[in-house]
Order: sequence, then structure tokens, then C-alpha cells
Amino acid sequence: MSDVTLESLTKTYGDETAVDGIDLTIRDGEILGVVGPSGCGKTTTLRTIAGFETPTQGRVLFDEVDVTHVPPEERNVGLVFQSYALFDTMTVRENVAFGLKMQGVPKAERRERADDLLAMLDIAELADRRPTTLSGGQQQRVGLARALAIEPHVLLLDEPMTGLDAELKRRLRDEIGDLLADLEVTTLYVTHDQEEAMAMCDRIAVLSDGTLEQVGPPAEIYRRPATPFVANFIGSSTLLEGVAENGHVDLGFTELPVDAETDGAVRVAARPAAFELDEGQIAADVTDVTYLGDRTQLAATLPDDTTVTLHADGIDGYRVGDSIPLSIDEQRVHVLEAG
Amino acid sequence: MTGPTESDETDSGPASAAESERADPRPDGGTTESATAEKWSRSGTALSTAVGRPLLVGVVTVVVAFLTVPVIVTFVSSFAGSAAGVVPRGFVTFEHWQQVLGFGTHGVQANAIPGLAFSLAIATGGMLLNVVIGVPVAYALARYDFYARDWVNTLAILPLVPGLILGIAFVQTYPNHGRSALGLLAGYCLLKSPYMVLTVQSSFQSMELVRLEESARSLGASWPRTVLTIIIPHAKRGIVAGCIITWTLAAAEFNFTYMVASGSPDPFAIFLYRNISNATHLQSAAAVSVYFTIVVAAILVLQLLGNRGFSTAQR
Repeated sequence: MSDVTLESLTKTYGDETAVDGIDLTIRDGEILGVVGPSGCGKTTTLRTIAGFETPTQGRVLFDEVDVTHVPPEERNVGLVFQSYALFDTMTVRENVAFGLKMQGVPKAERRERADDLLAMLDIAELADRRPTTLSGGQQQRVGLARALAIEPHVLLLDEPMTGLDAELKRRLRDEIGDLLADLEVTTLYVTHDQEEAMAMCDRIAVLSDGTLEQVGPPAEIYRRPATPFVANFIGSSTLLEGVAENGHVDLGFTELPVDAETDGAVRVAARPAAFELDEGQIAADVTDVTYLGDRTQLAATLPDDTTVTLHADGIDGYRVGDSIPLSIDEQRVHVLEAG
Repeated sequence: MTGPTESDETDSGPASAAESERADPRPDGGTTESATAEKWSRSGTALSTAVGRPLLVGVVTVVVAFLTVPVIVTFVSSFAGSAAGVVPRGFVTFEHWQQVLGFGTHGVQANAIPGLAFSLAIATGGMLLNVVIGVPVAYALARYDFYARDWVNTLAILPLVPGLILGIAFVQTYPNHGRSALGLLAGYCLLKSPYMVLTVQSSFQSMELVRLEESARSLGASWPRTVLTIIIPHAKRGIVAGCIITWTLAAAEFNFTYMVASGSPDPFAIFLYRNISNATHLQSAAAVSVYFTIVVAAILVLQLLGNRGFSTAQR
């Protein structure tokens, strides 16, 4: 296990820039989540760490060692794909032992270590089966065992749970999160599912258009988004235009007693939970009502024509066209610089 | 018999589904909806199951029978004393087999064995050459996106020209070497290579070629080792299928053989042709039977080889 450092990593394909000058460190033993919309460069970043892409510029370091031009088979990196990519011509045990075989570990020891890993992942009884006879969740466990068997410097997970159903995903997420934390494996976890990233990762890096928007613990990313993109991508936010002065932000239709770093034009990111119903002086018009069971999601237009998303308890009989009184909880908004 | 029984069984499915919908009607307009659902499922069953399946089974049965009956009749006739008329008579005699296999006292120009061995050897050579050349070409086509990829793809399929045309081209282009075993070997390989490339290519395309390769390499296997221990075994079924097709088609190729073969020994296809035109029906029947027996045996052996180690056997 070791630190993995990306130094101003850039990858271009012809005119297309997939990754644009990313500086990022995966700390020894942590699970770093990489999230972003498709095409943001997260998979390219993963493939560069694995050695399947050579960066156009920049370096990849494992601890202090520059591995930028080391071929994949000499990097000792564990890879787990969404599509599992297990070796169908071998048994589960042979799959897990394959990496050890390549390392020249003797047969008896290979078998023992593979069986230990299968037991750890709770699939010991599948050792002699073929991968094609297993369910998706079981295959993913085998994929993880195979990648962990080589005791990799870094474990790279590329959307490993995307193909699984919601219930299984939740269970596997908790289980695998605990396992990786116990083993203290340095892990890069690429996903488009921010909830998954929040639940499993020690820190999250948000990518957009090949650049790093923000990196930090899940709570920080959620509560104090650094950019409008992060505010919108991680949980939904409404961005309100305002002017900051003397510890107030003037939104035009109301004033919020929140501090901005500098006076002048700002944007205020507000989560759905920031809008409180019933008591406020802001009059908003309901434009859409979506019943979600335990709550109702409303879209409403503020006096400055911004559309906000908010949640109401249960079914309260809201209808499109209603005027509802709102207030904004200043504890739950975050001031961004004007973009 | 199977047609009606199966349609009876599947008929009960949608009917019970419609019943369960009726048992749990929605308070508003539920009856209309379940009536509609019943009507829809009935008409769907009637067309595809009641008519389509028996029709398909019938057509396939007739076609298979049309193709296999002559083979069976030929095989049976080769043991008969007389084949005048529709039904062969005078069972069982090994006289014709003896003659064809070279133990006879009179009859055909020569026995079939040298020609058969010659044809099979050349077909096997062509097949091996196709494995060595076709598999890497198929891999490159499936794995990489390279300049002129479409042209290579087209060129790999191009030799699907009639053997007659390729034969003429060979004899005209290489007047000194065209009519030789080497010419036959090159021709068989070239003529049948598209079948190898196409089957193996589709095998590569149906697996997760890139992901499998990257998994193996991240686990410490070099590229050559990955190809030999992971990729080729995963494509084994396609390679075996390609071998079966290229081998049988080459062994049975007549047009090209007729144009190019030099005559000593006569390749099997030529031998068959001469016998069918010169000798009695039953002798050629025996010869054809030898050929079919060998083809069937070869296919069985190759398929057993191909299936070994595949997961379908364990399911």
C-alpha cells in the first residue's frame, strides 16, 4: 500500500482534452471517490494510474517513485470493472490465484491465499465454480478478490456496482466499504453515483470537463461546495444571484444575514432543505408537484423568476399554481463567488 | 406431435395471468382493463405459438430430411448388391467398399486411399495455415482501431470468390508452380481464410476483449502471456468452429482442385468425380461414404476438443 500522486496530469486525444492538469493525491490507506458526469475524465484518470494510458503531460507517482512509463503488468495495481471481466475459462479459485501465479507464488500457497480471500468475501463455497454460473453480485466479489490477491499498491474500482440492483448495491457497498477500511487498501473509487461515493469514501474528488473542481471529505463537499458545479452535482442546489455587503446578502426579494468573503456580486447555493414552508414572507408560485411517498417534491418560482426545488412532508394537497409562503434558512445556504 | 402439445402448455400461461388480473380488479374501470389484457394476450398466443412454432418445426424437418436422406440412402446403398430401381437390393455385401479401399479384384482405376490421404493432408495444412494467419488478423480487426482497418477487413473477406476463378488465376499467374501440391495448399488456405477470420473475429467481439486483457495485465501478465493464456482460450470455441469450416470446405473443394490439381495422386474430389462418371453407382456411393465418415469423425473430435474446459458442460 502506498500514496498515489498525480502531478498536473493531462491527457489529450487529438483535439479532445480528456484530463486537463489534475493534481491529486490518494493517501495511503484511504478510499478516494472520483465522481463527475460521463466524459469528465474519471475513467481516463483511472486508466492512467493503471498504466493503460500514457499521459500527454504530467507524472504518476507511487510513493516517491515515478511510474509514468512503467507498463501495467509491472505496476502491481488491482483493477475491478463494472463488467467484472472474469476469466470464464478458469474456476473462481484459479481466477483469484491468477495474479499470484504471475508473481511466481508456489501452487500450494496460491491456493491457500485464494481460499482465504474467498472466505473473507464470504464466497468460499464458490471456489470450484465457473464465473459464468455466478450471479452479478457473486461475480463482483470474485473480481474484488482477484484484484486484492496481488496485494496491490492501489486498488482501482471502475463503477463496480453499476450493474447491480439497488438492494444488493446497498448491502455490498457497506460490506466492501468496511472490508477496504479494515485492509487499509489505498483505493480509487470511480462512480457516477454520488450517494455511493458519500457512503463509501473517505474523501471525494469532483471532476468536470477534465478538471478537478473540489476534493475533500463528503460532508465538506456537500456543505461547502467550492464551485457552482459542485453545488449542483452533489445533491441538488438552487443557485440564487445576489449582492453581498456588510454581512448581508441582498437577493432582491429578501435579505439573508450570511457572511461573504468579499462584498459585491455573489451566488448563493441553497439545498432543498434550506427552503422552509409555512412561515416566510417570500411568495413563491408552485409550478410542479411530484409525490415521492414520504415527501412531496415541489418546484416553485421565486419573485426573481428563479425556479427552486424544495420538499414538503407527505401529501399536503399542493397544486400547480398555488402561492406558497417560504423562508430561507441561512444556516443551510452557502455563498459562492459569482461565476 | 410436439407442436400441438407445446402450444397447449403455453396457452395456459396467459389464460391464468388474465384470471389473476380479474381476481384483483381495480376499483375504477378495472373490469374493462382486464378484458383488454385478456384479448391482447389471446391474440399474441394464437399467432406466434399456435401457427408459428409448428410451421417452423415443419419447415426445418422437411429441409433436414431433404438434405440427410440422400446421404443415408447412399451409405446404405454402398452395402447393397444391386441399386437398380429406387430400393437397393442384395444386402449385405462389402464388395464395393473393398474395391474403393483398394482390396478389390477389378473395377475402378485406383483405390481411394492415396487420394483421400492427399486431400486430407492438404486440407489440414490449409487449416493450420489459416489458424496461424487468420487468428492474428481477426484479433487485430476486433481489438484495434487502426488506419485502413476497413480495407484490411474487406481484404480478409475478399477471397470468398468462387474456387473456379481463383483456380484459373493461379494457373495463369504461376504456370510453373500453379499445378502442384503447394498451389493446392495456398489455394485452400486463401479460399477458406474468410471463414476462419469471420468466426474468430465474432468470437473476439463477443467477449470483453479489452477488459479481459487489461485485467490480466494488471495482475502481472505480459501481453504475449495474456494473449496465450487468456485471450486465445476464451476464443477457443470460435477457433475450433473456424477449423471445422475451413477443413471440411477445403477437403471437399472441387472447382479449384479441378483447375489446379496435377494428377498424381488424384485428390479425393477428382477421384470421386471420375468414379461417378465411369463406375457403377454403388462404388461411388462407397467412396462418398468414406468421405462422410471421415468428416463426421473429424467434426466430433474437434468439437470434443473445443468443448473441453468450457463452462456450458458444467451448467
